[in-house]
Order: sequence, then C-alpha cells, then structure tokens
Amino acid sequence: MSWRPTALNVSFLTLIGWALFLGILTGRADVIVVAVPLVVALVAGRLAKVSPALQIDHELSAERVFEGERVTVTVTLRAKTRVPLVEVLEPLPARAHLEHGRNHAFFSLQPDQEVRWEFALRCIGRQRLRLAGPHVRLWGRLGLAAAETHYRAARTVAVYPHVAPVRHLPRPVRTQTFVGNYVSPAQGEGIEPGDIRPFAPGDLVRHVNWRATLRLGTLHVTQHHRERNADVVLVLDTLSDVGAEGQSVLDVATRGAAALAAGYLARKDRVGLIEYGGHVRSVRPASGRAQLQRVLDTLLDASVVFTYVTRGVDLIPPRILPPQSLVLALSPLLDTRFVSAATDLAARGFDLVIIAISPVAAARAAARRGAVGDVAARLWALERRAQLDEHRRRGLTIVDWDGVSSLDVPLAALRRPRLRQVVAR
Amino acid sequence: MTRVAAAILVAVLGAFPLSVLFAPPITWLAVAALVVGGTGVVLLSIPLVTAGASVALIEYSVALVMAEAAVDLVAALTIAATLVVLLALVHLASHLQDAAVAGSIIVAQLGQWLVIAAIGVAAAVVLSAGAGTVGGALRGAAAPIVVLAAALGALLTVAGVIALLTNRESN
Repeated sequence: MSWRPTALNVSFLTLIGWALFLGILTGRADVIVVAVPLVVALVAGRLAKVSPALQIDHELSAERVFEGERVTVTVTLRAKTRVPLVEVLEPLPARAHLEHGRNHAFFSLQPDQEVRWEFALRCIGRQRLRLAGPHVRLWGRLGLAAAETHYRAARTVAVYPHVAPVRHLPRPVRTQTFVGNYVSPAQGEGIEPGDIRPFAPGDLVRHVNWRATLRLGTLHVTQHHRERNADVVLVLDTLSDVGAEGQSVLDVATRGAAALAAGYLARKDRVGLIEYGGHVRSVRPASGRAQLQRVLDTLLDASVVFTYVTRGVDLIPPRILPPQSLVLALSPLLDTRFVSAATDLAARGFDLVIIAISPVAAARAAARRGAVGDVAARLWALERRAQLDEHRRRGLTIVDWDGVSSLDVPLAALRRPRLRQVVAR
Repeated sequence: MTRVAAAILVAVLGAFPLSVLFAPPITWLAVAALVVGGTGVVLLSIPLVTAGASVALIEYSVALVMAEAAVDLVAALTIAATLVVLLALVHLASHLQDAAVAGSIIVAQLGQWLVIAAIGVAAAVVLSAGAGTVGGALRGAAAPIVVLAAALGALLTVAGVIALLTNRESN
C-alpha cells in the first residue's frame, strides 16, 4: 500500500504561494505569517506514512438467490494498530440496487478493534452477480495523503429467474413408464378405478368388487388405471431477443421455463431443457430437486449467440428429446428458423405446445414513447396475431403470453385434453 | 452539516477583512470571495473553495495596505487557522457524499485538524518572535536586500515542499 499526495496539496501550496507573494508585494509581515500554519499543516499531513495493519473479510449472505431477492454484504474490518480514517467502497454491479445501508463508508479504528459493516442489495434480473471486493483508502492527516488498495476477494451470486407457481400445467398426451401423477389409460396397479371384469386366477382378493359380484352372481374384480409420469422437454428460443436487459423476451422466457420446470418436477415428471440458438445447450430429462438446480443453472447462462447456422432438431439425440415427450417451446417466434424447427418437431409426432411470448411490450418498454411508436406497436401486434393464426391453421398448438401476466392465464386454454394434430409442414 | 460549517468558515474569511477596513473595493472583493467560496462549498469543490480563499487573502492584503493598519498577528493567525480547517473540511465533505459515517468520526477529525492548526499557530508565533530578534540585527541593512532574502527564503520553502510532496514513497 503506497501513500500518495492528494489534490488538497495543490490547494495548500496555492494559498501558501499567495500569502508569500502578497506579503512580499505589500511588505506586510502579517500576510506572510498566514503562510506559516499552512506550511506546518502541509508538512504534518505528510508525516503519517506507516500503513496500519488492516484485515478485511468480505462475505455474502447467499450464493444463490432468485430475482428480486436480497443479498446482504458483510464487510468486517480488523485493525491491529490505530487507523484514524479509512474509507471503504464496494462498487455496485449495474443490475443490483442498494436496498438497505450504504456501499460506501468511513471508519475510525482503535488497536484490535473490529467493525462489521453491512448493506443489502436487491438483485434485478437473472445474472451472475459479481462483487469484486471492497476498495479501501486510508487517509492521512488533513486528507493530504492517501493510500489505496483493492481487497480482491470476488464473490459471485447466482441470481436465478423468478419461479412463479403455475397451477394449470398442460397435461401430456402420452405418459411414460415411471410412476407419476397422471392417470394412464392402461390398466394395472394404481388407485384410480377403471373397468370391472370377471375374476381370473392370479387376481388379488382385495381387488374383488363385492357389489358387482353379488349382483352378477360370479366373482368380479375392479381394474385400476396406472399412474404414470411424463417426459417434459422445455425448448428455449435463443435465436432472437427483444427488449432491455433484465426485461427482455429471453428473460421472460427463462422465467416461464423455470416456472414450468418447477411445476412439472413437483409432479414427479422428468424435465429436460434445450436452449435452441447459436449454441445448442441441453439438460437431459431427469426428475428431482437436483434437476431443477441443473435447469436453473442452464437458464442462468441462456443468451443469444448470433449465427447463420442452426442445428436441425433431427440432430438432437433421443436421450435429450425422448420420444413421446411433451415439448413446451418458449419463443417470441421472431426467427423463422425456430418456427421451422417447431414445425419439424410437431410433424415428427411430438406433443408440442408453443408458448409465444409477445415481443411488442418488451420492445415498447425499451423504445422512446411517442404516437408513431404506439401506432407501430399496434400494427406489429396485429401482424403478430395474424402470424399466430396462420401457425395454428397449420396445426401447431400455440398459446400467446404477454410476459407480464401469470403464465396460468395463457395455459388455462390448454386445460381440456388435447388431441394429436396433423401438422402441415 | 459539514456544508453549513464550511459555509460559516467561508463567511468568516470573506467578512474578516471588512473589520480591518470597510470600503467599497474591499466589499466587492468580499462579495467575490463569498460567491466563489460559497459556490465551492455548495458543490463541495476544492478548486472553487481554494479560489474563494485566494480572493479572501487578496482582500485581506488590500485592506491592510489601504488601512495602513498596525501588524496584527492574532488576526493573521485566525485567518490561517480558518484556511487550514476550511480546506480540510471541504475535502473530507466531498468524499463523505453518499457514505455512511458516524458523527464521532467527523468530530475526531475536527479535533485532529485543530491540533495541527494550533501547532501551526505556535510555530508562527515562534517564527515571529525570532523574526523580531533578527529584524533588530538587520535594521541597518538596505530594504532591497531584506526583500531579496525573504523572497529567496520563500522560494526555497515552496521548492522544498514541492520536492517533499512529489517524492512518492511506498511501504
């Protein structure tokens, strides 16, 4: 840590110079005397050159939070020797707001004294929030000398997309072989009663339907429907993005994907993720809380990577996109390559639901307000509606989401059982 | 709070020469010093406060010359101590903006500045007493020689201070 003179020295020198010049010019001793305390102060301010032993700890209350949650930053200062004045500044990242306290503070420490300083940040938008560590400045007497250092202890907070509860999750048309929450049309072990049939050797006595047996005179058993789970694959369109950072269509899509993943995983379904864009990244379908963490980690880094080349859906291996899985695509449908990929998926027999996120509101929020902009936004909304109708006519299942209201609103339209549709490529 | 304290010090600096001589030129200089220094206090700008203090120093010198007043060491040392505290206060206040700081820290700093100002005042008193003794010995010397020696001494002092400040040391 090196001591450097501050700009205040120039001020002292200026006034000393003026006092001496005016004193000599006017021949007044009392004007020259004015310079003496200033010179003494200048010299005294430069005498403190020993760097005090200062120990700094930098801690965060959490390493993983969701959007809008608070992170408390705690900086602990310990001094072995006396520190007359120390300034500590923690620079704030662009998308973190100061919620409580200050990120800039001054302290005066006695020998072996410890000071804890806390402030809270509210994390805006999904990001890997990086706090580089506090900048420390020791002040000499009168502020004439200062020593600066940067405490390099970077801490990163993963700010995941907000997970809103979704009540009306689209039901999959087909189920898989593992136990889950969906009543399968197939008969077998389960608790949901199905058909009644005559008793056959091997049937369990507890399955005997005594009411039917008494009425029909022969033993009858109740069959049950199996409860099965489903494979759900979320496809995130990262070919295009519209809107300001933190409020863009892609941010809305990641929030939707996170909410859907959490909802389906809570139903014991296997959930996978495909980030379809310049880089095709994927998470293999699996179930459990660890899978939610994997999906959220992938969503955290989802971004648009410009490319002219896109990978066809036929190149996505079945372990990532299992047959008979429910595919939920979140996209603004701005890039025709994604529309082609979605059409291809539907034509291959996948149970596909496209959640079309409106880019109009995001673009409008990012652009300057004005009558021309309003007219353009309305025209764009009309054009988009016509486009979605055209896709629906071709057999694609599309729900329109404005990105502001709850995802339940557009998904409520899918509560009725869906049938397989024939898609025109 | 620091702004109010600094504003009071600027007012003292600007108004003090008027107690030496209340005349239109001094008043105009006082107004200039107050406007420039006051703006510096409001903006917490060290260059503006320095400019205001320089104008106040000019105003004080002009007042002394015009009034042909007797040498008043107490007044000179009051102005010097005010200048030291004003510069240190504005400098600290400019860094305190939007920062969390306990009131006790400012009080402790103020105490430290006053100690340094007191040491400066004591040094000035000692030097003045020494100058009185030396002045008696130089009574027969020609005035230009005295002025030249004083100028040379001032020049050496400023050069020494600049050399001291520009010598960056690291530990």
